[in-house]
Amino acid sequence: MQRLFARYPALRAWLLLLPAATWLFIFFIAPLFIVLVYSFLERGTYGGVVWQFSLENFRRTFDSLYFSTFLRSFYIAAVTTFICLLLGFPLAYYISTRPPQRRSTLILALMIPFWTNFLIRTYAWLTLLRTNTGLINVSLMSLGIIDKPLPLFGNDFAIILGLVYGWLPDMVLPIYATLERLDTSLLEAASDLYASSSKVFRRVIWPLSLPGVVAGSMLVFIPSLGAFVTPAILGGGKSLMIGNIISNQFLAAHDWPFGSALSFVMMAVMLLATLIYFRSTTSEERMQP
Amino acid sequence: MSDGLAVELRQVVKRFGEVTAVESVSLQIQHGEFFSLLGPSGCGKTTTLRLIAGFEMPTSGDIIINGEMQGHLPPYQRPVNTVFQHYALFPHMTVAQNVAFGLEMKKVSKDEITRRVGEALELVHLGKMGSRRPKQLSGGQQQRVALARALVNRPKVLLLDEPLGALDLKLRKAMQGELKALQEQVGITFIYVTHDQEEALTMSDRIAVMSAGHVFQVGFPEDIYENPNTRFVADFIGETNFLHGTVHRRGPLAEIAIAENVILPARWASDELPAGSSATLSIRPEKILIASGDEKPPSDGEFVSVPGQVAEVVYLGTDTRYVVRIVDGVQTVVRVQNLEMGNKRFKVGDAVMLHWRVEHGRILKE
Repeated sequence: MQRLFARYPALRAWLLLLPAATWLFIFFIAPLFIVLVYSFLERGTYGGVVWQFSLENFRRTFDSLYFSTFLRSFYIAAVTTFICLLLGFPLAYYISTRPPQRRSTLILALMIPFWTNFLIRTYAWLTLLRTNTGLINVSLMSLGIIDKPLPLFGNDFAIILGLVYGWLPDMVLPIYATLERLDTSLLEAASDLYASSSKVFRRVIWPLSLPGVVAGSMLVFIPSLGAFVTPAILGGGKSLMIGNIISNQFLAAHDWPFGSALSFVMMAVMLLATLIYFRSTTSEERMQP
Repeated sequence: MSDGLAVELRQVVKRFGEVTAVESVSLQIQHGEFFSLLGPSGCGKTTTLRLIAGFEMPTSGDIIINGEMQGHLPPYQRPVNTVFQHYALFPHMTVAQNVAFGLEMKKVSKDEITRRVGEALELVHLGKMGSRRPKQLSGGQQQRVALARALVNRPKVLLLDEPLGALDLKLRKAMQGELKALQEQVGITFIYVTHDQEEALTMSDRIAVMSAGHVFQVGFPEDIYENPNTRFVADFIGETNFLHGTVHRRGPLAEIAIAENVILPARWASDELPAGSSATLSIRPEKILIASGDEKPPSDGEFVSVPGQVAEVVYLGTDTRYVVRIVDGVQTVVRVQNLEMGNKRFKVGDAVMLHWRVEHGRILKE
């Protein structure tokens, strides 16, 4: 064996890689490959696939119905990401500037909701937001503050609210990680060099926290784009995202090839978004301070 | 400005909760002075510097910079700049951008910024490094960038917080000389925090020795070394012998009894103490002459002479260090410069005579 390794040095590396590679193959590459193959086939009458090559599925994804859903999903994911950033950055900054003991407590507090199932938490929002029987509208109306229920449910607002609620910690944690490591003497140096608080933020804190902001934004944007539980529940069946259409193709319409094609187009869009994001921040900025 | 003070602290106190970091510190620092705050870690020297910079606000007392009360002015409104212990260079900016930062914040014109940044980098011998990132520079070079970044703003006072602390010994020595030369060249008041007494002695015009939040002594380096006013200062600056005893006789030239029949004359370092109270005589090892019993001390001046026995001899190259037992339990260290080759005149067990000038012995309060 030793002699074999001496003769083929790469062999040892390949052998060591084998367990991880097997795992990746079985759980990642193989399923993805099946989906890819399906996307080029035709649907069977009662589900399943017919082994007949076709590009029809990909053409259909650009039908105006689906394409507009793509655009809407993109818009909802972008707005969600932006709101998460707006809420998450100050929160991360606040936590990172507390004494170490308090920081762990606050991070724990941030994580506690996640001990409850996501579906249940989304249904909890449903009880709050529902148009006629929701807690918010009922309370406001019985208090006489409004006389007609507010449109809190079954629209983009409800979906974005649900997504922001669900993904906010994914924005906070990476930003917190970069801010926590930020050397406070840099802030003192900037303020010593005549920078006011807002200048210190713009010139030092923000550029140095960009790696966290980028990571957080991706962590929010990608799952938001593919979301289907939140729009299914809070969209009230009226407001859909691309994730709902894909799950419908597999579960309701029994059109696996078309669902596969939609999945692949969505993955391509995500990949593109990721690339653009990484391009927009130079490699220097992505480097940890 | 020739009149007035660069920086004045009036009974400045700083407390962090229960802990008092700075206890009623008053200092007067002249224009163009190289002034050091010297003390062990936790003595309040860095806090004092941070109070001047405005990173901390005093609990009470006044800080006056260039004749103006600072009150609670934030750091960015004070006419001082700081060189941080670990440089605190902005990692996302080039060297030139780092140096330009203060000028940009002050809205100096582009042309002037370019010119002054160039000059500042020349001043610290980094003329060609402007486009590098701080991480691409060595520790010594980063140190110079930090200096240039502060000096380019032409502050009234430059505050330096152990700026050489992170450098290795050799570079440290080189930078000490360079810093001092630079200070003389630009003529800016330097307030320099260090725990390294040698660094303070070599570079400073004046030194304030601090401990436990108090300033113990302020003076010229030779004053601090030759005439320490407290046991702490004598101990912290250089090596010294402490001979414990009781005041035998008062008067301008007092006597202190360190053993039953060993009574040594010395001068008071501070206020006189009543006879019988306990006191310490401090004498520097290099001030003591070691001689054989029959040798007479030099005839110029008044000498104190004590017999003793050599207990230890250590050859140190430039000098030899003797430990001499005066009486049981009382030892003193003597340093003799090795003027001649292999100058080991005395062996362990030799009976010797120690001589020192009366004025070199100082009586300190216990």
